[in-house]
Amino acid sequence: MSGPSDAPFPPDGIADTEALQRQLEIFAGDVGRLYREQKERAEQLEDALSTIKEAYLQTVRSLAFVVEAKDAYTGQHLERCRVYGLALMDAIGVSDDFPDAEYGFLLHDAGKVGVPEGILGKPGPLTAAEWRVMRTHPIIGYQILQGIPFMTNAAEIVRCHHEMWDGSGYPEGLRHEEIPLPARVFAVVDAFDAMTTDRPYRAALSIEHAAGEIELMAGSQFDPDVCEVFVPLCERLPRYVA
Amino acid sequence: MAERLVLVVDDDAAIRGVIRAVLEADYFHVLEAPDGHTALAMLGESANGDRPTVLVLDVMMPGIDGIEVCRQVDHDSTRVLMLTARNDDATRLSKEAGADAFLAKPFSAVELLDAVESLLMR
Repeated sequence: MSGPSDAPFPPDGIADTEALQRQLEIFAGDVGRLYREQKERAEQLEDALSTIKEAYLQTVRSLAFVVEAKDAYTGQHLERCRVYGLALMDAIGVSDDFPDAEYGFLLHDAGKVGVPEGILGKPGPLTAAEWRVMRTHPIIGYQILQGIPFMTNAAEIVRCHHEMWDGSGYPEGLRHEEIPLPARVFAVVDAFDAMTTDRPYRAALSIEHAAGEIELMAGSQFDPDVCEVFVPLCERLPRYVA
Repeated sequence: MAERLVLVVDDDAAIRGVIRAVLEADYFHVLEAPDGHTALAMLGESANGDRPTVLVLDVMMPGIDGIEVCRQVDHDSTRVLMLTARNDDATRLSKEAGADAFLAKPFSAVELLDAVESLLMR
């Protein structure tokens, strides 16, 4: 027999602000907890991803070293190409557009596994027929990498690393922007490293000398825009790569 | 400085309660002050070891307002996140007073946590 005034609850339409506040704080706590959990999960994923990336890079390195061991040993050439190439991509501002470029820099000569050792290691000049075989290595390398996920740009670098800006390169004689940008970048750093390290037939050139040579070939062998970024950069490149 | 210690200054106890609930769930320790005077006293009395790293500070308060509190805070040891009303010039004034970040009321819990977390990382 109780009237509405005896009800333990406030009449409909009037908020019990204390109850509302308690409820709100519980909801707020839920949001904070979800935020924290989601953040921890994101951190774990990031850690796992960076481990996988490191393992992937190390695997690519090993593959590249296998080819290098078969070809003439050129010291840390592959690793320097990677580091110089990344620095140049960074300076141009396109690193994020080609995340797999470093794999291409390392694997540029992967197709040499398909070139007979008699040709690779021949002491004297190659015959025209031998050159034809030698010039297949970008395509062989491209075919090796073609189907691998996350290797699209890398495969293009491998395919085009002997193309030249003016169209005089191989295998396809591509010119200007027909050559993918990372391959144009690679051409410059590869030549630079070749010039600035000792070779059996000549001593290393100075950085200034090598930079001068690159400038001379801007517009013929190399993309002039890439050269323009590279020449001031090359002084600051790390000299020794572990 | 205590790494994850936050002082929440707002004259509205309900708002303080909600902010506390959000922050505590993300492993912050939370102190509360109902007005600017109390906040400045708490900061002044705190030793280096237990000084709040972040101040979550309402602009509109009776007595000493948020902008004045912000002006008097030692910005070397404490970062200030200002809670402002939308479309007021408090943001400009707070900036001049040295505030590090701003949130317009009403704000989302995620915005609040993002703001406080990023002030910690600086």
